[in-house]
Amino acid sequence: MKEMVDGIIGAGGFQMIINIVIILLKIAAVVAVALLHVAYATYWERKVIGHMQVRLGPREVGPFGLFQPFADGIKLFFKEDIIPANADKPLFYIAPVIFFVAALTSLSVLPFFDGFVIANINVGILFLFAMSSLGAYGIVLSGWSSNSKYAFLGGMRSASQIISYEIAMGLSLVGVMMLAGSLNLTDIVKAQQQYPLGVFAIPQILGFFVFVVAAFAETNRLPFDLPEAESELVAGYFTEYSGFRFALFFLGEYTGMLIMSAIAALCFLGGWGLPAFITANVPHILAQVLGLFWFLIKVYAFMFFYYWIRATLPRYRYDQLMAIGWKLLIPLALANIVLTGLVKIWVKGIL
Amino acid sequence: MTSGKFLRTVFFVEILKGLGVTFRTLFTPPVTRRYPKVKVPAKPGFRGLHALAKNADGKLKCVGCGLCGAYCPSKCIYIYTVEGEDHNKVVDRYEIDVLRCIFCGFCVEACPFGAITLSEHYEYSNSSRQAFYMTKDKLLENWDKYFAGPKGERYFRDFWQPKSGNFTGGEGQAMFSKVKLKEKK
Repeated sequence: MKEMVDGIIGAGGFQMIINIVIILLKIAAVVAVALLHVAYATYWERKVIGHMQVRLGPREVGPFGLFQPFADGIKLFFKEDIIPANADKPLFYIAPVIFFVAALTSLSVLPFFDGFVIANINVGILFLFAMSSLGAYGIVLSGWSSNSKYAFLGGMRSASQIISYEIAMGLSLVGVMMLAGSLNLTDIVKAQQQYPLGVFAIPQILGFFVFVVAAFAETNRLPFDLPEAESELVAGYFTEYSGFRFALFFLGEYTGMLIMSAIAALCFLGGWGLPAFITANVPHILAQVLGLFWFLIKVYAFMFFYYWIRATLPRYRYDQLMAIGWKLLIPLALANIVLTGLVKIWVKGIL
Repeated sequence: MTSGKFLRTVFFVEILKGLGVTFRTLFTPPVTRRYPKVKVPAKPGFRGLHALAKNADGKLKCVGCGLCGAYCPSKCIYIYTVEGEDHNKVVDRYEIDVLRCIFCGFCVEACPFGAITLSEHYEYSNSSRQAFYMTKDKLLENWDKYFAGPKGERYFRDFWQPKSGNFTGGEGQAMFSKVKLKEKK
């Protein structure tokens, strides 16, 4: 077998095919698990916000309403797909796909536990930034192509918001890069092991704060959900979308939230990193599983924080949003970089 | 800006307080009533669908005096009387347009004989208007449905007493309104 394949493709061809199959299996596993998480993220969000508002949340479909996400998905799938008469059709078709693909592509560089990452590239964080900027194209194009004033305003707001907060977010992670000395997410997690509690959130408390606020703005969540502000813009950039195209936006938004939570968990909260006394005393495979759960718990906690904020805070005004982004977060992030650099030079032994 | 206010702004004291409130409400029991599955029984004196009371012989109590129709603020009670065999008054038609009724309960208070009642039944949605036009037969049927047995007696004991001569409520009478009329001197 091996000789035959090598004979057809050339030396090492068999190994290449094996590698491709492994990568495809990894991709299938990650996408399946991520989409399942997205489905239950919506269910969990409705439950949490429901109880925070002294309501029940979904209860009717299945036990405790557990099949509600699937009922919603089936409903969206069979809905009529309406395209506005004067919409720019090619752009209208492609915009949700860009948004969704950009969100899913970000999953490829996230390490879920030690050694499990689809693409272990050395510019992981930069890649994540690039993908989240690309997602903004989907939003802007959908707003533009819908030929609707609400969608257009939503798209414009989203563009300016993401441009403003992308800077703050990038700068907030510069401190992490400086401490870890790498852009690779696996290296960043490993670098955190020698810090107190195994997290960057303590030495990078300013950066963490800026990152959290910017993450809320990047994913268009309350209190920065101006692009889709229901009370002003109907539904913002996806006002004109229905059926499965709307579902793509919806899935993309929740995937984006999961990715932001994963970045927070990996870059600031220690990722899968367990304390040394656990990893030293349990078998390797068990340590991997525990690490995965430890990572997922952090992701879920951050998702819960998303919901918690949404249930608590009202929407910011547009000028307030811009003021927070440019006058507060960017200076704070810059100050954080300077402080981190000074500390790294002067007190090398401590940190 | 004072230093205290500055510190409160920097550390988001107000937002943290708000987060505390929402986190506490997360663990309070929800107030949702799961209506079609769990029905909350109507409180005594609830003013629902109308019914015409029957006396001990199973006959219509109403004598056709027309006071209820005269009192009715939305004028949705129509009474037609005819002359009976031995020259007495017979209620020929007694009809209520339920869609116009505002459920004020004045007809019940006005009736000197305790003939018109408001039952605790409130789930009677329908897709035709005709179903809401209550004729005498339908109203008598409602009495059998919703005031069968001691329920009807209790209704009149608690929620209906004819007005006394000076238009004050009866002694210990549970009225629909809690407004106490001034006694005439």
